[in-house]
Amino acid sequence: MNPSALARQAFLHGAIAILPLSLAVAPWGLLAGSMAIEANLSAWQGQGLSAIVFAGAAQLVAIGMLKSGAGLLSILLTCLLLTSQHLLYGLSMRPLLAVQPLRWRLGLGFLLTDEFFALISQHDERQFNRWYALGVGLTFYIAWNLFTFAGIVLGQRIPNLQGLGLDFSIVATFVALIAPRVRDVPTAVCVLVSLFCSVLFSLWHWETALVAAGLLGMAAGFVCLKLQGVRR
Amino acid sequence: MIWLLIVAMGIAVFLNRYAFLEPRLPLRLSSNARQFLGFAVPGMLTAICGPIIFLPEHQLNLSPLNPYLLGALAAVALMLWTGRVLLSLLLSMGLFLILRTGLA
Repeated sequence: MNPSALARQAFLHGAIAILPLSLAVAPWGLLAGSMAIEANLSAWQGQGLSAIVFAGAAQLVAIGMLKSGAGLLSILLTCLLLTSQHLLYGLSMRPLLAVQPLRWRLGLGFLLTDEFFALISQHDERQFNRWYALGVGLTFYIAWNLFTFAGIVLGQRIPNLQGLGLDFSIVATFVALIAPRVRDVPTAVCVLVSLFCSVLFSLWHWETALVAAGLLGMAAGFVCLKLQGVRR
Repeated sequence: MIWLLIVAMGIAVFLNRYAFLEPRLPLRLSSNARQFLGFAVPGMLTAICGPIIFLPEHQLNLSPLNPYLLGALAAVALMLWTGRVLLSLLLSMGLFLILRTGLA
């Protein structure tokens, strides 16, 4: 096969691989769109959030803060902290992506979401294919924006869409990504510590609750792994 | 004003995503760092789920009848049992919606 056919095939495989998660993000996207309308953003601004920011949690929190009259700077800072797990993702994918040409780094960097990371970080240097990664990222981007659009349209017609528990979809999605990975004690410890800390820190209203909890969970898993190594 | 915020948020999120992809950043990952980062998916994704499950509407809910908790447990069971992502997602979301209406 010639290179462009191979690239197209890899792109298509990536698009298919992310399809279940792209569909699962529907309720979350609907929520992002409808909440923007509810907070008196224009339809364009609601869509702009998804098209430019492309980070569900940050979008929802920013909209909530706008509604409660928070200032620009505090929203921005919260957004920066809330999405700081992406720093970790970038660090983790550095061996794969930093060697790519600039336009690929910029493009795949922009598309680096939780879901993208969960799928692509399983690959090592040999398995990694940038066209596959682009298929994953771009499909998810398009799905996210389509569902946001649907949310904007529905939000203008159906009131109180956020009372439906649409946020459960993110739990179901992430559980589907996490559960198959919990095969050893260190990973189980990581998950339990992270779960406990995330609830505790959120109760304490830390703005860095999620990242702090995630880091502690990762540290706990890592320590556990090292202890296992010592004992053997 | 809103547009300024949207663009600024876009830049903030992109900086988080891109920062460590920049090859000119002098940084080499040790094997320990790589092992640590190997826990990023379970660690971070779990942290995002925690408050959604146990703090619905910003109230602590530790009841075993919490629909978010039951839905999440169902998703774990379905995923381990069937190994199929879309099936687990659809069934657990369906169960969640039923529980939510039924237990409300």
